Amino acid sequence: MRVEFTVNGSAESVEVEPRVTLADALREELGLTGTHLGCEHGVCGACTVLVDEQPVRSCLMLAVQARNASLQTIEGLERENGSLHPLQQAFSDCHGLQCGFCTPGMVMTAVHLLATNPDPTRDEIRAEMSANICRCTGYNSIVDSVEQAATARGALARDD
Amino acid sequence: MTIGQTVTRKEDHRLLTGRGRFVSDLQLSPMRHVAFTRSIVAHAHLATVDTSEALALPGVRAVFTGADIPLALRAQSALPGYVETDQPALAVGKVRFVGEALAAVIADNRYLAEDGAELVDVDYSPLQPLVDATGVVIDPVHDDAPDNILIRRIFENGDVDTALEQSAVVVRRDLTTNRHAGNPMECRATVALWEDHRNLTVWSGTQVPHLVRNMLAEQLDLPEGNIRVIAPDVGGGFGVKAVLYPEDLAICAMARTMPGTALKWVEDRVEHLHAASHARDHRYEVEAGFADDGELLALRVDATCNVGAYSVYPWTVGIEPLMAGGLFTGPYRLEHYRCLVRGVTTNTSPSGPYRGVARPATVFAMEAVLDSGARALGISGADIRRRNLIAPDDIPYRMPTRLVDDSGHYLECFEKALDLVEHNGLDYDGLRAEQQKRVAHGGNPIGIGFAVYNELTGLGRAASAGPRMPFRTGHEACTVRINPEGSVTVLSGVTSQGQGLETTLAQVVAGTIGVGFDDVQVRYGDTNESLWGFGAFSSRQAVIAGGAALQSAEAVLEKALALAAELYEANADDLTLTNGNIMVAGSPQPIGTLADVARVAYLESNRLPAGFEPGLESTRFYDPVMGAFAAGAQVVVIEIERSTGELKILDLVCVEDSGRILNPQIVEGQVAGSLAQGIGGALYEHLVYDDDGNLKTGTLLDYLMPTSAETPEFTLGHLTHHADNPLGVRGVGEGGTLGPAATLAGAVADAVGLEIDELPITPARIWDGLAQQGGAGT
Repeated sequence: MRVEFTVNGSAESVEVEPRVTLADALREELGLTGTHLGCEHGVCGACTVLVDEQPVRSCLMLAVQARNASLQTIEGLERENGSLHPLQQAFSDCHGLQCGFCTPGMVMTAVHLLATNPDPTRDEIRAEMSANICRCTGYNSIVDSVEQAATARGALARDD
Repeated sequence: MTIGQTVTRKEDHRLLTGRGRFVSDLQLSPMRHVAFTRSIVAHAHLATVDTSEALALPGVRAVFTGADIPLALRAQSALPGYVETDQPALAVGKVRFVGEALAAVIADNRYLAEDGAELVDVDYSPLQPLVDATGVVIDPVHDDAPDNILIRRIFENGDVDTALEQSAVVVRRDLTTNRHAGNPMECRATVALWEDHRNLTVWSGTQVPHLVRNMLAEQLDLPEGNIRVIAPDVGGGFGVKAVLYPEDLAICAMARTMPGTALKWVEDRVEHLHAASHARDHRYEVEAGFADDGELLALRVDATCNVGAYSVYPWTVGIEPLMAGGLFTGPYRLEHYRCLVRGVTTNTSPSGPYRGVARPATVFAMEAVLDSGARALGISGADIRRRNLIAPDDIPYRMPTRLVDDSGHYLECFEKALDLVEHNGLDYDGLRAEQQKRVAHGGNPIGIGFAVYNELTGLGRAASAGPRMPFRTGHEACTVRINPEGSVTVLSGVTSQGQGLETTLAQVVAGTIGVGFDDVQVRYGDTNESLWGFGAFSSRQAVIAGGAALQSAEAVLEKALALAAELYEANADDLTLTNGNIMVAGSPQPIGTLADVARVAYLESNRLPAGFEPGLESTRFYDPVMGAFAAGAQVVVIEIERSTGELKILDLVCVEDSGRILNPQIVEGQVAGSLAQGIGGALYEHLVYDDDGNLKTGTLLDYLMPTSAETPEFTLGHLTHHADNPLGVRGVGEGGTLGPAATLAGAVADAVGLEIDELPITPARIWDGLAQQGGAGT
């Protein structure tokens, strides 16, 4: 089946079987391998992408279900000038990643958190980020990262 | 000088922008995909394996069974009491655990391969399965071991019987620890491509690429130079990926039949939980004798490790039992010790290396008997540890298993951990007062638990002798090359699954040579690039590969300065390199640059002084011979919700002696991550088989790993007693996992008087215990 959607602002069209997951379509058809598969049964969150601004397990969603949707993946966060998104920068500054395998999903979940709650408490960060499993960091540096990014974005907003 | 500083990791940018290069990302053309048909029966003879229906499926290119691949892994050890057994690439004649691969389907994509795998028709003739290592053997797992015991060894020192008789008190604990999955977030993945029948490239998410090359060369009867193993970015390992698996062997063997076509296998999580190595399924019966003043006089231990269906390659089934017996006594002085360890094969997934190897279980057991001893003697848990810890004056301390402890900084770790305890403004003494207040006036009980441990890191050739395998892991090689324009390339035998070695080694080399951190590029994980490395396990890489990088950098620096001395007519002893500039003693102005010197070394050999070999490169091996013990202590403060049995961590303190710290942020990250895994293992994680050998926890919905909601904030402290190796470092990769089961169990006993003899410590287990005391729900 032919499915059209936008990914990180670009119109894309893929030919997929109905059973192909959104994750596989992104990775195999479009070469967007930044979205990772950690469990393929919807628990670990590594494959999280935003579909019409909502976080989605792309291992559980079929590509055909994303028809005409607007998708955001980790590859779309970097600015055109090559500078990192505040969340990417904060994850690097705070050592919010080690092996980096859960990281794309982690960051996309955090993008959604800050879009809906720009100034979260640490407990709110812990609650939202519990959608994603990290085996390396012990999480506190991830909470630090999201907190730093929220602060940085708040400062940016005030400067505007 | 970048050694010792936190710097932006070289790995971060690509991993944060989706440009990481993991095995599962690899696309080659032509490429076909592999799916395995796995046993759904725990123990059976394979009557027939019918592949005809699978082969008839459009898109399926080939189907292999065990009969098609006459290869088997046979982990070897010269230890008496070890029974060698075969692990076939694909099951032949018999299956031994649910999840064992018995056929492989090769198809145009993964979906079709999985369709095909489901169509392989298997006729099983069931045998009696056994999943409990202490159960009665009816049908042995391996014919060569009728009692299912694959390894048995006694560690003995002194006269335990007499010492126990002379003890003021003898305590006994029977303890059971829970089966774990390492569960790196990236499952296993392998791609194999044969250029022709004799030249193979393997991409593998392995922790040990050089070992994999060595083992594959032997299995496939090829010179090592014909095999290239590449471990690109790897999404966590924790020991699980330090194993050569039968699937890897099968993929290489199958790909050999189709040169020019790459075969790709990406494991899914259900396969991982069923068939990647497990760990920590142990039973300990411990008797400990103490003197009146709390001195530990004797230990008698009977340890049974459930090692699963096969001897994990190349480490053998000895990996857990030998570690358990060898390091049971941890950081405590003891003369009279007798420990019988046995590794029992069962119809479960093989047990293998997992972060901390056996010691999260032995520390749990050791700390449990100390707590029991303290209670029996009426002294405090803190005091009984103070009484028995190996002290700096005892160093070098010969442990009853003949390992030599070079640390001794346990009490300092422990006291510092106690000093750092804090919750809601209450320090340790304040929390003890609050605990008593709640006992008197009601409220949820508070408990405090302790663990002190030693982590044997960076094992050199002498320290790694125990398992008597046909190879000895002690050294690493590192090549440091100064390029013609003055930048530096490091080719190291390390691998990284998140530990940040690309960054740390660049810091070591940049700081040693005197160039900028950004001018150093580190390449690793490719057997065609680096000379040799055993890879990532046993918290060895900072110690051993760091040492090799240091010595190699020193050697190439010496060569560069010798050349500079000739070119600039200076005395080499007066020259130093700072940020790429060549400085002469007494002058603030550089006399030249490393780039100038390197250019001569490569491009202007006409200017080379007589006798100078062109190029600026050095390769050095480093082996610490012994190891570096790392001291650690943890203290946890918990609160128990009586009405539910729920345990809440109020504070968790971990103090470790990291030796010299190369990068504070990376060290803290290693400790924090290992603590979280320790907490997971203590409270949540549990692989459960039913009596028929079916895994009841085969998804992440059932096998619970902690998330950000369950993991508390940590309080971390560090000691920096330099170790006796060139960098002064001690490994920090595993220590954090050793404490939580012990501290949390100790804290439960401290809070409500409930001795935890079985892990994990679930709310139900606490609630049941309270109910038996008559105290639940009150």
